[in-house]
Amino acid sequence: MIHLLVSVKQVPDTTNIRIDPETGSMIRKGVPAILNPYDAHAVASAAEWKKKLGGKLTVVTMGPPAAEEALQECIEMGADRAVLVSDRAFAGSDTLATSYVLAEAIRKIDQEDHVDMVFFGKQAIDGDTAQVGPGVAIRLGLPLVTYAVEIQDINEEEGYALIIRKTESGKEIIKTKLPAALTAEKAIADIPYAALPDLITSLKYKPEVWSAQEPVAYDVAQIGLEGSPTMVAKSGSPEAHEPAETISVEENGLAGAVETALGKMLSNTSVAALLEDQQ
Amino acid sequence: MSKDKLQYDVIVVGAGMAGSTAAAIAAREGLNVAVIERGVKPGSKNYFGGALYTHALVDIYPDFFDRKPPLERPVTETGFWFLSDDGLVKATVQGGVVNSDPIDAYVALRAEFDPWWAEQAVAEGAFIIPKTLVEDFLYEDGKVVGVKTDRPEGDVYAPVVIVCEGVNNLLTQKLGLIDHDLKISKTALAVKQMISIPAKDINARLGLPDNNHGMAISVMGDVSMGLAGLGFLYTAKGALSLGVGVTLDALQESGIKPYELLQRYLEHPAIAPLIKDGQMMEYGAHLIPEGGWTTMPRLYTDGVLVAGDAASMVNALHWEGTNMAITAGKQAGLTAVEAHKKGDFSAKSLSTYQDKLSDLFVLQDMKQYRKFSAFLKNHPQFMDIYPTFINDALGMFFTGFGKPKRKLYKDILRSLTSRRPLFKAIGDIIAFGRSIIGI
Repeated sequence: MIHLLVSVKQVPDTTNIRIDPETGSMIRKGVPAILNPYDAHAVASAAEWKKKLGGKLTVVTMGPPAAEEALQECIEMGADRAVLVSDRAFAGSDTLATSYVLAEAIRKIDQEDHVDMVFFGKQAIDGDTAQVGPGVAIRLGLPLVTYAVEIQDINEEEGYALIIRKTESGKEIIKTKLPAALTAEKAIADIPYAALPDLITSLKYKPEVWSAQEPVAYDVAQIGLEGSPTMVAKSGSPEAHEPAETISVEENGLAGAVETALGKMLSNTSVAALLEDQQ
Repeated sequence: MSKDKLQYDVIVVGAGMAGSTAAAIAAREGLNVAVIERGVKPGSKNYFGGALYTHALVDIYPDFFDRKPPLERPVTETGFWFLSDDGLVKATVQGGVVNSDPIDAYVALRAEFDPWWAEQAVAEGAFIIPKTLVEDFLYEDGKVVGVKTDRPEGDVYAPVVIVCEGVNNLLTQKLGLIDHDLKISKTALAVKQMISIPAKDINARLGLPDNNHGMAISVMGDVSMGLAGLGFLYTAKGALSLGVGVTLDALQESGIKPYELLQRYLEHPAIAPLIKDGQMMEYGAHLIPEGGWTTMPRLYTDGVLVAGDAASMVNALHWEGTNMAITAGKQAGLTAVEAHKKGDFSAKSLSTYQDKLSDLFVLQDMKQYRKFSAFLKNHPQFMDIYPTFINDALGMFFTGFGKPKRKLYKDILRSLTSRRPLFKAIGDIIAFGRSIIGI
């Protein structure tokens, strides 16, 4: 029986984020927390394959108690079990510490019930680092397929999966042995609209809550602020771009407009420097 | 997956003020209550000016204030502001009757308050099902026995359904409790901005002593560009809420865009300094059913009760709506409890809901103010001529230095009569009086 696992994160809905102009930090008040959208698609894909192959789907997250809601959403999509790794000791963890916490949690789950594939969203929309998935895969020694857009096959018997990943120049079809890890693009699966009984089940579901001591005894030097070498020196909003200048073809004629545009570009110091480099 | 049908004692449609109240009351009496809400969470589809009224809140939870509700500021100053195109007369009241304990009204944000209000219902035992739209009813022998949602396997059963679906009352229409869709002459569109301003600046600009003082202001005059409608100003802790509501037919006939109205209001010389250097946090709009009695559906049928905006429970002049919704929600909840005790969910059994509301301000006021929305539409002079006259009259009175005062009074009178003959003005005032007394 296949056992799929998805590692997820609850994030602030960054579609309506505001930055405090005085402190430069994000205003969290009134910003709804959601399941990271890439993670949601990863869960949807895992749920599809669980349904297709018959088996089990476990989700895991590290976060505050309120992250329970994100896990309930995973249950709604078809997960069977959810683990919330939650402890004040984890507060301030960067991607290095977070990948340690999640890797050890997944290792624990795997010991109880062998995990065949670990799914991640390609990145979280709040930090956009795309580091936690690869970090966990390395810690667990799993082959990793990043930017997965489609799973063509998962063959438990012969121990391989066929995964299509997006690259800058096109697509690659990767055949990987199991167990394996992947980070998912949204294209990997559509979010299902759950049946009402499944939604009700998820609303009543309480995830297992794991602390920093039980059932995994974490090394305190590798978690929280102490385990996080990353420092945020400064954050803020980027300056708005200058609006583009319009050069009218009607007024200048086509040739004139092109000439004017080229002239303006060449007089721009950064463009000129770029051309210099090319030559 | 369970093949058992989903069965509850009561279904409430919509987790707004009416819905969460009805659910709390029914659950408190031991009934198994499901609240079905289309939004991601309660409050995500709700919006108002606005202030909540203490009497209704403490009626449901006597220890309301001990529960640490998410409120912004108490309303310690309230009244009218009359805008001319470049002037402002303030007629507000503070202290005295307004300085009650607790204060009668509190500014709140629905996106924060509604989830909290729903949590109180959950604590009473109600179960909230979000992200699910109720599309229709389930019938047996012609009687409602539940609802059909938009989800697969989405039928939910209960012998009584309390419909608190809000202003766009499609389910109420589907039941035939009202024979028409929203009337554009009886429905207002309110647009508002929440503008973030440091609390100390709000206090300084509005003359409030500290963050525990706040304002709820109705703004008449230039704000609505002569259309049937009103503006408003409410003080949150670190933000001002400013908006304008006008009827849909007025918008349609004038061709004025809602955002133009709001922008013009915010740029008014008396308003702009209040929001200087503020940051817009929120821009939103919502429909308000202002028809009152004239657009009220029948409130019950076999297996169904209707409460809140869905039943046009709004008093446009007194800015009442949430308190009517809470009060009606409570009575609907109590009626459902009684129906369960009797084991009778017929229209006749549920008709006690209407009797209860008739004994309360809800239906009494709606009946009394039944002519008000028509009055407003037929007397646009209250939106431009009179507010401007009040500005001119007071301005002239207080600057009539070195003028024979007999001439001053003549000038003041002329500033009215040049816009509206005296007998018509007197007629207007009588009409206003009739519209609010209800004769």
